[in-house]
Amino acid sequence: MRRVLLVLLLLATGLAGCSGGGSDARVAWHNALRDWEERRDPAAYDAWLAIPVPSPEGREAHRRIREADRLYRQGIERVSEGDPAARDSFEQAVTVAPMDPRLYLPLARTFREQADLAPDNPHLFIRAAEYYRKFLTLVPDDPEHDDARRELEELDPESAQLAALDAPAASPTLPAQGESLGAAMGLAAAALFLAIAALLAMIARPGRGGRSLAELALARPELHPAIAYLVSSLRHELLKHRIGAVSSGVTALAEGRASAPQRDFVRGRLFGGEPLVDAWDGHIRAFERALGPELDLRRRDRSFRAAGKAIRTIGSLERGLREGDARAMKRLALAHAELHRLDRELFGLVSKMVRTRTGDALLRSIVDEVREEYAASRVELESVAIEAPHPAPEVEVFESDLVLVLKNVLRNAILAVGRMDPPGRIKIVVAVELEPTGEENVVIRVLDTSPETLTTEAIYERRVDRGLGLVTAALTRYDGAIVVEPAEPPWAKAVTVRFFRAFKDDDRPSREPPAEERASA
Amino acid sequence: MLVVEDGTEYEEFANTFLGARFLVVAAHSATEAIEQLRSRSVDALLVDLRFERAPSDLLVGDVDATARRLFGGDSVRALRWIKDQQGTLVLAEIRKAGFRQRAVFVHDFPSERLKNLAKLYGDVHAVPGFDAAAIGAVLDARPRVPA
Repeated sequence: MRRVLLVLLLLATGLAGCSGGGSDARVAWHNALRDWEERRDPAAYDAWLAIPVPSPEGREAHRRIREADRLYRQGIERVSEGDPAARDSFEQAVTVAPMDPRLYLPLARTFREQADLAPDNPHLFIRAAEYYRKFLTLVPDDPEHDDARRELEELDPESAQLAALDAPAASPTLPAQGESLGAAMGLAAAALFLAIAALLAMIARPGRGGRSLAELALARPELHPAIAYLVSSLRHELLKHRIGAVSSGVTALAEGRASAPQRDFVRGRLFGGEPLVDAWDGHIRAFERALGPELDLRRRDRSFRAAGKAIRTIGSLERGLREGDARAMKRLALAHAELHRLDRELFGLVSKMVRTRTGDALLRSIVDEVREEYAASRVELESVAIEAPHPAPEVEVFESDLVLVLKNVLRNAILAVGRMDPPGRIKIVVAVELEPTGEENVVIRVLDTSPETLTTEAIYERRVDRGLGLVTAALTRYDGAIVVEPAEPPWAKAVTVRFFRAFKDDDRPSREPPAEERASA
Repeated sequence: MLVVEDGTEYEEFANTFLGARFLVVAAHSATEAIEQLRSRSVDALLVDLRFERAPSDLLVGDVDATARRLFGGDSVRALRWIKDQQGTLVLAEIRKAGFRQRAVFVHDFPSERLKNLAKLYGDVHAVPGFDAAAIGAVLDARPRVPA
């Protein structure tokens, strides 16, 4: 609908321009609207503000900014109160107008306060750092700029360095006041052309919306931990314990040899307790809430669409199964097979998600990059040795996050060694340890010769500066950990980072053929 | 067949679909499982992996020690992990008590992890779903010759 309105607006703008009725304010408003509604460009705020107030467009822009401002401030207030529905205010506000970039600072501070109250929630730290960076980038001349930089450095020095490198966002291109009518006509003609092209594209490809889960996983690797968690819940709670649990029963029913207890078992699992349809919808809503509007499981995801239909089919079969209707049993077998297919697809999807090799090459590049940093480059080191197994074990961690963690640990070790008399030494050792659960832990130990005391508690309580707060947050996100361990001489201590190892993708065929296939065999 | 789980679903499944072959008994913790194994003859173990509904005092695994060793002192994550992997920890206790019966999990372990479990606990198998025929086939298979 919004796209249709935009096309109509473009058409109106184009037609008005071509007929000679265009104005600078109208063109500026069109550009400013586009920057926000199509690109969600945070810098669009300046473009909205620059639209002359005497024009109707200017009055509209300023009215919407005021209305949105109230909603953004309300959202920040709700975040500070820990209101889990604070997001509603922001979602409402973005539909009205862009946010004053100066509000990124109170937003960042609010998230940081919340992060301090809930140190186990890494997303709050990450959000806080992100908003500090936006503030520093978008409002470089603000009087609170230096304070904000200092606060971000305390939270995450690496992010602060990146913010310093970010060029200030370019202001949206606005036609200068008094620009010639010819230029406005040209813009209007271009808008008309684009509008017609957009209209034709819409007619040619109706209904294109968000992404399927597989497409989203491919496009947004940062969502992999959340996707893995959601998939695991769906598979365990619904696909294994309710659908998978009746595999043998469905086969027996389809073959006409199910005993009375087996029929009862199937009915109990499928129709007892929470209705299947409600349980399914609950999982779908959890996916949508956690992964945002980019995900469209209901329309764009063929597998979920088919599985949803299968769930509804099963939901409608209670009476037929109770009465022993052969057609209902056949339909149950087909729906069950569809859900089994989804389960296998999800298994495949999760096992192919983000993985990073903790090998010699990655560790060497991390050492080289840290050694090039100003402070670390001034430390005289006798050596930085690396010991890593071959083949390198993989972990389910986004490479940039692993690099962030290891760079921080290594940087701290180098700087600690730099505060003692030379020679200082550092060694990185990667090992794989077997757990009694059959899982394996990839353990990366950064050993140093500094006698300075460092404890695990100090790292987790963020008494250590240099960004270890964000490191612990990232580790929590991936079910990893960091501990300080004693070490054998000549080493003084080891800071040890561990993650569960990602096993190799089996790519094996299912050992459980769908009931429908067995039934027809 | 001894079923070890935190609820009753595995037991119901085993009684319903494997009841013609096995007398099914159930245990809901490592202690109960070992008691059962000491009091009767058991041919096979069907073991649940996740024990999310089990009370903490019935779980195998030291939450604080696990939190310190694996989760940077985070006891919430440690408890979750212990519950999520409880079946393997129960099996470890059963083996420690000297019982070597074939154990079957209903779980799609990656093959490397299943190999690790076999290395740790001997005769261990897994089927990815509640499939009586597949479980029966696993129980009928000849024991693997240790490498």
